[in-house]
Amino acid sequence: MRRAFLAKGLIVGAITLGLATAATAQEKITVYSAGPANLIETLAKGFTAKTKIPVSVFQGTTGKVMARIEAEASNPVVDVLISASWDTATDFSKRGWLLPYTSPNAAKVPDFLKTKDAVAQGVSALAIAWNPKSGTPRPTDWADLAKPPFKDLVTMPDPAESGATFELVAALQGENFQLFKNLNANGMVVAGANAAALTPVLQGAKAAVFGAVDYISLGGAAKGESIEVIFPTSGTVIAPRPMLILNWSKQPDSAKAFIDYVLSDEGQAAVAKVYLMPARTDVKADRPLIGDLKIISVDTDKVYAARKEILSGFNAATGGK
Amino acid sequence: MISGGRADQGFVLTTVAGLLVVVALPLAFVLLQAIFPNFGSGSLAAPFSALVEAFSDSKLLGLTLNTITLGVVVVALSSLIAIPLGVIRALFRVPLASLWDVLLLVPFMIPPYIAALAWIMTLQPRGYLFQIAGFDLGKLLFSFWGVAIVMTLNVFPAIYFAVSRTVGAIGNRLTDAARVAGATPWRAFLRVTLPLSAPGIVASLLIVFAMTIEEYGTPAALGARAGFDVLVTAIDTRVSDWPIDLSGASALSLVLVALSLSAFGLQLWLLSSRSYETVGGRSADTTRHALGAWTLPVILLFAVVTLLSTIAPLFAILATAFSRTISGGLALSNLGVDNFLAMAEGASGGVEALRNSLLLGLATALATGVLGATSAYFVVRTKLKGRQVLDALTVLPNAIPGVVVAVGLILAWNQPWWPASPYNTPLILLLAYCCILLPYPVRYANAAFRQVGESLEMAARVSGAKPIVTFTRVLLPLIAPSLIAAMLIVFAIASRELVASLLLAPVGMQTIATFIWRQFDQGSVQLGMAMSAVTIGVTTLISLAFALLSRKVDRTA
Repeated sequence: MRRAFLAKGLIVGAITLGLATAATAQEKITVYSAGPANLIETLAKGFTAKTKIPVSVFQGTTGKVMARIEAEASNPVVDVLISASWDTATDFSKRGWLLPYTSPNAAKVPDFLKTKDAVAQGVSALAIAWNPKSGTPRPTDWADLAKPPFKDLVTMPDPAESGATFELVAALQGENFQLFKNLNANGMVVAGANAAALTPVLQGAKAAVFGAVDYISLGGAAKGESIEVIFPTSGTVIAPRPMLILNWSKQPDSAKAFIDYVLSDEGQAAVAKVYLMPARTDVKADRPLIGDLKIISVDTDKVYAARKEILSGFNAATGGK
Repeated sequence: MISGGRADQGFVLTTVAGLLVVVALPLAFVLLQAIFPNFGSGSLAAPFSALVEAFSDSKLLGLTLNTITLGVVVVALSSLIAIPLGVIRALFRVPLASLWDVLLLVPFMIPPYIAALAWIMTLQPRGYLFQIAGFDLGKLLFSFWGVAIVMTLNVFPAIYFAVSRTVGAIGNRLTDAARVAGATPWRAFLRVTLPLSAPGIVASLLIVFAMTIEEYGTPAALGARAGFDVLVTAIDTRVSDWPIDLSGASALSLVLVALSLSAFGLQLWLLSSRSYETVGGRSADTTRHALGAWTLPVILLFAVVTLLSTIAPLFAILATAFSRTISGGLALSNLGVDNFLAMAEGASGGVEALRNSLLLGLATALATGVLGATSAYFVVRTKLKGRQVLDALTVLPNAIPGVVVAVGLILAWNQPWWPASPYNTPLILLLAYCCILLPYPVRYANAAFRQVGESLEMAARVSGAKPIVTFTRVLLPLIAPSLIAAMLIVFAIASRELVASLLLAPVGMQTIATFIWRQFDQGSVQLGMAMSAVTIGVTTLISLAFALLSRKVDRTA
């Protein structure tokens, strides 16, 4: 009786263990990736088809990926990291966690999208995502969203939760966060991550997102959603997505091959297919490219050093915590 | 043959070992991380610095008060709805009783973050309510009361089922005796039925309080807009925002643990030194009284509650799942099965995620059921030394946010010195779910054991049965209804657990919740809702099948 009783737990454990046991081939690499799940799945499949090297993927927000790496610090397993924030590359480089590598396929990647130990997978930009059915005039610049037609109709992702939004705030803070004070006076809501800011705009509860990640909205528009992506006339910030090889990787050659693959024609085409800008300037995409945008340059070292002050200035201006 | 004494010893040791692995180990590592900020990288430098910093934070008091207020308000609102409904259901012949039971089971199957999103899409300006009725309730939704009401609608069935079951077990026999002795019906209820059903009711209140203070989805989705922050959202910020602050998160978790232990202490104090034995040798009288003139009002009451708690969120989920685009709204031309087709074709591994989660849910229900029943037995039925420690150990996880349990599990199992580790296998998710959900079977079994008279056990012992036999042949069948109910809740919650899964899912593996969350994150709300609808349907059907099956077994026994 008792044995049957105890055996139950063991059987259950065994069943679960057998669910999806990961392959343990020699060459296998582990990739942690923030951002488009379908992109990293396509890339992993394409890479394995080409090289026969299996890839295990863990996908999450930049925050969750980082928390996992932090908690794993005593016994790290990740070989390649793709972050949605360039800040990660800078920080990991300073910690001495990265393996320097320059891919032969990175020749056509512009200099500002690569360092000795990081290279962009692709680039997204922040934009105004506007619902044309909202009955509001089409905005052309950030400041339009602080005007009366947009009273109580604007959402914005929380800069504390998204690196790109933070850089946008840093770029637009101006004198004493005046723009954000105006937006706050106009009833803008700051809440949640990127997707959380978009849904109310699609349904019509709000008219526009201030600082939407462009590729998600472009994808929505392609599926027939009533959403237009507008790049403001005064300029915006871009968010390159760095790929990094961690120096504890036991398969550095496979990891390098993976970076090469993402930067190949095939890999970059996959990047363009999810409406991100390819890192290579010679790959076509069905969307505005870096050269088409007015980009406000952000001194990342300086603004990230002042992250706390900028966030508290922003929160004071927008009535947040 | 194993002698009785040794069999008992093995029984105790196995239970204790199970609790140590499932609960104590990850929590110990959380505590170590709270004390040693660099513990994750193997250093013991700067001890207590994170704790000092967390406890000297001026916002801590506000966060704690917000958390307590929310917990108390949700428990109060839930009791207000659930206790009258549960009592009526248990003591009277309610028309369509089984239908109401099934409908009130559904809120358990709706993941809280999905329910919150469904309410946002229903009540915000231009939402579904506006599209149907021409007005919206956005102001109410994005306020403290919005958070409290949405959470209440999600958790009150826990109290409803506990009340209807415990009151039902007492039946009308004792109150009828009181009536014969001259008591009014109301007095008989207040002095006899209510006190006797106290263990079950109090246990369910405690569970709801703990569920509320630990819940992340709703406060994150609604509270942020209302400027209402609680401990869990503050903890998640520390784990998600770069630079990651694992120690700060662990330190704040200790505050939640203290809150939960206080509630647990309160329960012990409330129930101490009284006897609640109602299950004797005779079977309970199950005749229910007729409602008479109250029939219609009671039906209306059940209808309104199920409309709000079940039908409304289900409608929003289905409406979104069947929409081609969100911006198209509730128009016939915008409806279609595209999202379900995409899922059936295996888009992004949806089917695989469903299978993974259902298997994990089943495994978690079985494992926590066994561990929960045995540990509750030792606590209530034996005079083992240290049994209170066992009891406390089984409530602790209730207070710890899933994300912190996840961090604890990574810290515990990703140490290089383990010869083998469940980390990066599905087993780590099983451990996480067991840890987070163990309190349910334990609390329900605990309350049920308290109602079983000791005479039955004595009779078995006198007849020569060993404790293990008494447990499996006499006690287990008697507490089975409670235990099965708890295991169904565990199954439902485990199969869609989000917060721990996001961090712990082994590479290359998806669960239902991580699948839904990815779709939301990529702007495919409709595909996420289609998966939610399928999940709610499947988990509800499986739970019903189990419930019917166990009822049959119960009758034939």
